[in-house]
Amino acid sequence: MSLVQTQNLTKIYGSGSTAVTALDHVNIKIHDGEFVAIMGPSGCGKSTLLHLLGGLDTPSSGKVFIDGASLAEMRDDRLTELRRRRIGFIFQFFNLIPVLTASENAALPVTLDGLKPAEAAAKAKEWLARFGLGERLSSRPDQLSGGEQQRVAIARALVAEPSLILADEPTGNLDTRSGDEIAGLLRSVSKQYNRTIIMVTHDPRIAAYSDRIIFLKDGKVVDETLLEKKSNRNAQIVADRVKEVGD
Amino acid sequence: MNLQLTLAARYLAGRKLRTALTTLAIIFGVLLIFGMNTVLPTMMAALQANVQGAEGEVDFSITNVTGEAFPAGVLDRLRDVDGVRAMAASLNRTINLPPDYVDGDPSHPDTVIAINLIGVVPEEARSLRAYPVAAGRYLDESDTASAVISQTLADAFSVDVGEIFRLPAASGMTGLTVAGILPADIMPGNEEVLVNLPQAQLMTEEPGKVNLIELNVEAFADQARRAEIQAAVEAALGESYQVGTLMAGDEMFAAMEMGQMALSLFGVLALFMGGFIIFNTFRTVVIERRRDIGMLRALGATRRTVLGTILAESLIQGLLGSVIGLLLGYLLAVGIIQVARGPISMFVNVQMGAPVFSPVLVVVSLLLGVGVTVLAGLIPAWNASHITPLEALRPSLGEGEFNRGAGRGFTVGVAIIVLTAAAILSGQAALIIPGGILFLVGLVLIAPAMVRPFASLFGKLTAWATVRGGIGGLAESNLTRQPARVAVTASASMIGLAVIVAAGGLVSSLTGTLYDLMQDNLGSDYLFIPPSIGLWSSNVGASPSLAEDLRQVDGVEAVSTLRFAATNTNGVAVSLLGIDPVSFDQVSGLDFIEGSESAYGEIAAGRNMIANGSFLLSTGTKVGDTVELLTTDGKVPYRIVAAGSDLLNAKVTTAYISQSNLQADFGSTEDVFIQLNLSPGADRAVADAQIKALAYDYPQFRVISGADYFASIKSQMDTAFSAIYIVFLVLAFPSLIAMLNTLTIGVLERTREIGMIRAVGGTRKQIRNMVVVEALLLAAIGTAFGILGGLYLGYVFVTGIEVIFPLGYFFPYTGILAAVAIGLIFGVLAAIIPARQAARMDVVAALRYE
Ligand SMILES: Nc1ncnc2c1ncn2[C@@H]1O[C@H](COP(=O)(O)OP(=O)(O)OP(=O)(O)O)[C@@H](O)[C@H]1O
Ligand SMILES: [Mg+2]
Repeated sequence: MSLVQTQNLTKIYGSGSTAVTALDHVNIKIHDGEFVAIMGPSGCGKSTLLHLLGGLDTPSSGKVFIDGASLAEMRDDRLTELRRRRIGFIFQFFNLIPVLTASENAALPVTLDGLKPAEAAAKAKEWLARFGLGERLSSRPDQLSGGEQQRVAIARALVAEPSLILADEPTGNLDTRSGDEIAGLLRSVSKQYNRTIIMVTHDPRIAAYSDRIIFLKDGKVVDETLLEKKSNRNAQIVADRVKEVGD
Repeated sequence: MNLQLTLAARYLAGRKLRTALTTLAIIFGVLLIFGMNTVLPTMMAALQANVQGAEGEVDFSITNVTGEAFPAGVLDRLRDVDGVRAMAASLNRTINLPPDYVDGDPSHPDTVIAINLIGVVPEEARSLRAYPVAAGRYLDESDTASAVISQTLADAFSVDVGEIFRLPAASGMTGLTVAGILPADIMPGNEEVLVNLPQAQLMTEEPGKVNLIELNVEAFADQARRAEIQAAVEAALGESYQVGTLMAGDEMFAAMEMGQMALSLFGVLALFMGGFIIFNTFRTVVIERRRDIGMLRALGATRRTVLGTILAESLIQGLLGSVIGLLLGYLLAVGIIQVARGPISMFVNVQMGAPVFSPVLVVVSLLLGVGVTVLAGLIPAWNASHITPLEALRPSLGEGEFNRGAGRGFTVGVAIIVLTAAAILSGQAALIIPGGILFLVGLVLIAPAMVRPFASLFGKLTAWATVRGGIGGLAESNLTRQPARVAVTASASMIGLAVIVAAGGLVSSLTGTLYDLMQDNLGSDYLFIPPSIGLWSSNVGASPSLAEDLRQVDGVEAVSTLRFAATNTNGVAVSLLGIDPVSFDQVSGLDFIEGSESAYGEIAAGRNMIANGSFLLSTGTKVGDTVELLTTDGKVPYRIVAAGSDLLNAKVTTAYISQSNLQADFGSTEDVFIQLNLSPGADRAVADAQIKALAYDYPQFRVISGADYFASIKSQMDTAFSAIYIVFLVLAFPSLIAMLNTLTIGVLERTREIGMIRAVGGTRKQIRNMVVVEALLLAAIGTAFGILGGLYLGYVFVTGIEVIFPLGYFFPYTGILAAVAIGLIFGVLAAIIPARQAARMDVVAALRYE
């Protein structure tokens, strides 16, 4: 069965003449352990989709199912617990709590879940080290570069070992090499630990790390492309596809 | 440490300035509650002592049952009696003067035939009564043969300060040097000669003795408390002493009760204000942290975790602020009392010790401080816990939600204001009084919606004033962007300034009414006062020729006289006063309760009369009724055309008719009281000599200068009220903190933005101006609201007192001017720190600021 599924998912912002339809009857299915990239022009509803999938926002109509359970039927407590234990978020903007150190920020989901501080710190350190931040554990966000901050945010998304990771432009602030590293890492996490990852990106090269690409336009799914594993031509295929769909 | 505490501590430590400001707000709240409540009772007691002293009234007077003198040491038995504010022992002896002793003219009866020699301990006596010497000085402990006498006695003896007059005494003829001269007293009774107690004992040959102890009880003692104190006094003295209560009358009690109510009201206002500032801070804290909170929620923090974080923060700050506030509050109380001590004991020796560090008050203040902080933090914390994770991703929805709330608040606020305005129009005290607080609540509610129009109005003004600054518009939009926060700040400053305006309204109405009354009744240049005022029948008057002669004196502009006849209506004794409708209006005047000055014309026209309140009450009549007055020839009808009273006759059942009617129906032509005014250009010295020469043949009258008397009472009253102004000023101070707080937080919040403006070429000066203009806008809004609220509140106070005491509402121009000045000064003061901070901001650091 699929881990994540949507049913006529629609999101309308505002009302009357100023209404903006951000998502328009979106039906997608994402399987266990799948690494999916979502692409589309700016403002097409990518972030909105991600927020709905993570239970951060409520749809205007339609439903989101995670593990077969509808988010609409969950109370705030259940939803909060779901976010804490099952879902890892990487956001497009505003990632870290400014008064906490890199290690404390990365440890947040497990700290919030009641893990002992020492264990939480150990887990955070393990993940930060993987992203090359082993030396910056006690730095505050304002002492880190944009890319470093983003890596702390990714570590934070993974630290609770969630089965679903939602990433909104995780490599937006990174140079090509770091971007590749992160994308590779996400892919290996997905494959190694069987994690489902849904990643929004503009970059065809980054999208090429995924198994499948969903193209959105004006709030609608306009195309889906399956990619072969480990093909060097994937990046080119994606780029062509983007042109075809019409960026 | 758990996450909540870590976060709370980190946030507090990370934003040091803001933490300091919030704590300052709490400190100020507690400081006010504690300091004010410590100092206000002392100040109110001082005020009461001053008013009582000026009126010359004492609560209890103690004499020996035999009427004889007793040892001065008896006073010591009362030292430990609880509830006694001040007391003094004195030796009072009447000295009858031999015939022609004063003027030495056998053909002419003396004005002064006896004097009261009063021996006092100077400072002790001054703790009960005011002795506002007009020339020379008051008695000193070391004086021996020195005396303080009134102007009339000095005139009679023809002595001045430093000169000697002689009195017959048990010890033989004694010369006394005039140390000081008091203004003429209008109260009936023998002239008083004030000397030191040992001197009086020497003159009466009663060493070590006194024959009167007077004492005043603590401020705000009610009937029951007074009875309790009296019982304690009687117990301490034993059977051989009697305690007389010269009851100050119900008005005094009513006034005291009002005072106490006002006291609690100001306490509540202080608390309200403190709570507001704290609430405001936490609100901004939450708004500022929406992203962080949203992020925590997105990562799976529960609502309780978020709530706990904010509450932990408020608890830490509440505790810290309260403790510091207590300490500073005590220092403030000490300071105020130090400063006020001088002016307040100028006339009456008010004992003001160090403020009492009451443990109950400490506990209450602490509880309130922490409680209000946590409570004030609760709503924002609850709001915080309901921030959706989405706030982290799309911050800005907050204000939108708020605006919807503001819309509802606005409707409710307008409804409240309309209701309270209707209450004012209804003129019903029962409706107006609760309206006071409601009106403020109404203003608070409509404040958010008013911010935008106000800001754009004042914004236009500043834009016009700083055409080339290019920054006024920015300041304005900074304000309108955060209407909620501006509204809360404006509300906090509003309450502070409202208190000033209200106090101004109250004090100006009180003094205005009092002064008007005195000016009308006693403010004429000369008063010819008979031995007893009010009880006219016992006085020997003067024939109309005296008034006629006075009119002929060069420089005399107008002379008004009162004539008297006793009558009764339906068995009620009435004191009938004849006035000359024309000159009475020029020189004196009535305080009309119903009707107006046109009534003078009506009483000249026919059998019409003006009745005073006591008349209406005791005869059960009302204006428009016709009553039958008893004359020697039977009853004659008089119609009541107006209700009014003067100060001298307020307590006697009195009716005023024209002198021609008095003569026709009651046959009375004697003047029993004469008032006259000099024309503005008159040669006062010449007129004075002539008037006194004429008065010489009428020793039944004491001639005093009403203007001097009035000036003396006025300066005493002004002193008494100065203390209250000091207190109100302190109460206004939190509005400064509120503005400082909002501005600083505003600057912090916009750190990034300011960095951006600087990065794209904004100068330091522009940034500084932006903050200052913003501060001025903020202050203008707060001041405008404060004045509105204060006017209402002041009106409420006056209405409240009016129930008991006829008081006119005097528009508090001074209060308003003070509020405007304070508002603007505070606005600029509050801008100094944040403006400097904003201008000095490091551009790069600012851009990195999260
Ligand atoms: N709170 C909101 N109110 C009104 N419209 C909104 C709101 N949030 C998003 N939108 C609109 O919904 C549409 C989708 O927004 P969304 O953020 O999902 O786009 P996106 O695909 O993530 O764009 P980008 O690639 O630029 O991040 C946009 O047109 C946006 O303007
Ligand atoms: Mg987006």
